Amino acid sequence: MARFNVLKHEMVPEHSLVSKKEEETLLRSLEISKELLPRINRNDPAIKALEEISGPIPDGSIIRIVRKSPTAGSSVYYRVLEEGVFK
Amino acid sequence: MKAIVWKDTKKNIDMLLKKHQVKYAVDFAPSNAKIEKGYISTDGINFQFEVAIGSVSPFKDDADVLKKKTGLISVLTLEELRPVNRHISDFRFNGKKIAKLTGFMEGEIKELDLVPSATIEEKIDPEVRKVLADAKKMSFDMPLSIAVKIAAKRAEIGEKSYKKLIKLVQEDLVRKAIDPYEAVGIIAAQSIGEPGTQMTMRTFHFAGVREMNVTLGLPRLIEIVDARRIPSTPSMTIYLRKDLEKSEEVARRVVKEIENTTVLDVADVITDVNDLTVSIKLDKAKMEERLVEFSDVSFAVEKVRQVNITPDEKTRTIVLKPQQESFKKLYQVQEQVKVLTIKGLTGIKRAIARKESQDGPYVIYTQGSNLRMVMDIEEVDPYRITTNDIIEISNVLGIEAARNAIYNESERTLQEQGLEVDRRHLMLVADMMSFTGSVRAVGRTGISGRKSSVLARAAFEITTKHLLRAGLLGETDSLTGVAENIIVGQPITLGTGSVNLVYRGNRKSD
Repeated sequence: MARFNVLKHEMVPEHSLVSKKEEETLLRSLEISKELLPRINRNDPAIKALEEISGPIPDGSIIRIVRKSPTAGSSVYYRVLEEGVFK
Repeated sequence: MKAIVWKDTKKNIDMLLKKHQVKYAVDFAPSNAKIEKGYISTDGINFQFEVAIGSVSPFKDDADVLKKKTGLISVLTLEELRPVNRHISDFRFNGKKIAKLTGFMEGEIKELDLVPSATIEEKIDPEVRKVLADAKKMSFDMPLSIAVKIAAKRAEIGEKSYKKLIKLVQEDLVRKAIDPYEAVGIIAAQSIGEPGTQMTMRTFHFAGVREMNVTLGLPRLIEIVDARRIPSTPSMTIYLRKDLEKSEEVARRVVKEIENTTVLDVADVITDVNDLTVSIKLDKAKMEERLVEFSDVSFAVEKVRQVNITPDEKTRTIVLKPQQESFKKLYQVQEQVKVLTIKGLTGIKRAIARKESQDGPYVIYTQGSNLRMVMDIEEVDPYRITTNDIIEISNVLGIEAARNAIYNESERTLQEQGLEVDRRHLMLVADMMSFTGSVRAVGRTGISGRKSSVLARAAFEITTKHLLRAGLLGETDSLTGVAENIIVGQPITLGTGSVNLVYRGNRKSD
């Protein structure tokens, strides 16, 4: 496949990395522990593109996803990067 | 960026790897253009090494490594080989792609477009931003869609009403927010299920787009929630690049390029039982229509084994004679030749270019899906192309795109049947299906089958399997869900049942 940036595809929402500093305040404001957040696979094409831009992303990082929402205009979603399959 | 790409032997690469800076004598004369990088491949398709090229000079005797013994033209000064992982499709040679590299070539690298586009947050209008900030002051987050509407009317309604409006929005949002421990999944299931019963069972499930069939209605909805690996009618919608999308010629060319063409589509296959030969008589008109050349066919025919091939370009015939003289073999060859692929992409059976409106752009619809390969075509806009194969989307574009695809497809399927289901229910289903980072089906093999509670799983399907497994492995059930609490006869953990109240009583102080 030709190299192309999947993040620019119209079906792919914005992905960005939540920095380690922000993580704690984020989890506190959501009142949730990291294990309960939805997952994203390490092999996900969007993660690979993100790594190409900002360098390697360690496991357990939180990815902020800003979606275009038909009801709210835009909505923010979070996923935890995890290797392997979720049980 | 210009680069020299070449195919090399393992032995030569090993020699180049030994030193930091090597002078490499090659049988290739680069042009005068500035060249900084070189890429080395061992198989002509995948490139394993990247190297910086310091200078290029005519061949003298001072080279460290020789590519071959004779015919050397120039010397490349290479500095430090680094491993990379690139594919031949990353390069363009005079603006064109090639399938395989044989010797040296000068090409251009198609770099990954890494410049981030403006985010949604950055795109927000300053007026809208003010509204959002005002809402934030009242300590709530206003949805963007509402803020846009308010910002547009702000001047019209006046400052006083504006303040009041924000207050009203806040009250409304609080009132309409879903309550904690509300069973949203059950509500979603009901809300989709009830209109689903109105779907006519088998009729009107196919919508013809000229000669193309697309599964619709109930079967399609079941397909989506079951997360089938391959949908029953995979189909793609291909958009062309913005500057080419109105050209009929380009659209036709792309259609021809992706449509799978077999020998029978362009030729007559005649079997001569007397001579024991199979001859392919190519039809010129059909070949032109499908943009097939004689060499394409003769190249494709080479795949047939154990035959003597005699191509004749003048009469446009190719004669195949099996080496083994038997009718059985002859028949086998004939059958093999008929279905031989000449060009096109695997999986794409048909492609049709259509104009959505007068002077509108051309859009190509296909039967069969191959996202990866179609994206590779130069004229196609890779950022807009879609398919109805959700699993393929999740593999190529990621889980978030797959979630969008689940939502879009189910919404469209319901809408086509004239059913109205609140979008939020479909979003919930899409979110649940993509929760784990890969697309999971709704049901025994997916969401329900992976519940943490043994009793909940046993209550759903294949009871004995789950109970037996739980017994063998000594699983515990913490009784936090609904089904398991009904089984043991406790109040369920929903609504008021989710609150634990402890009455301490009125302690009398003595």
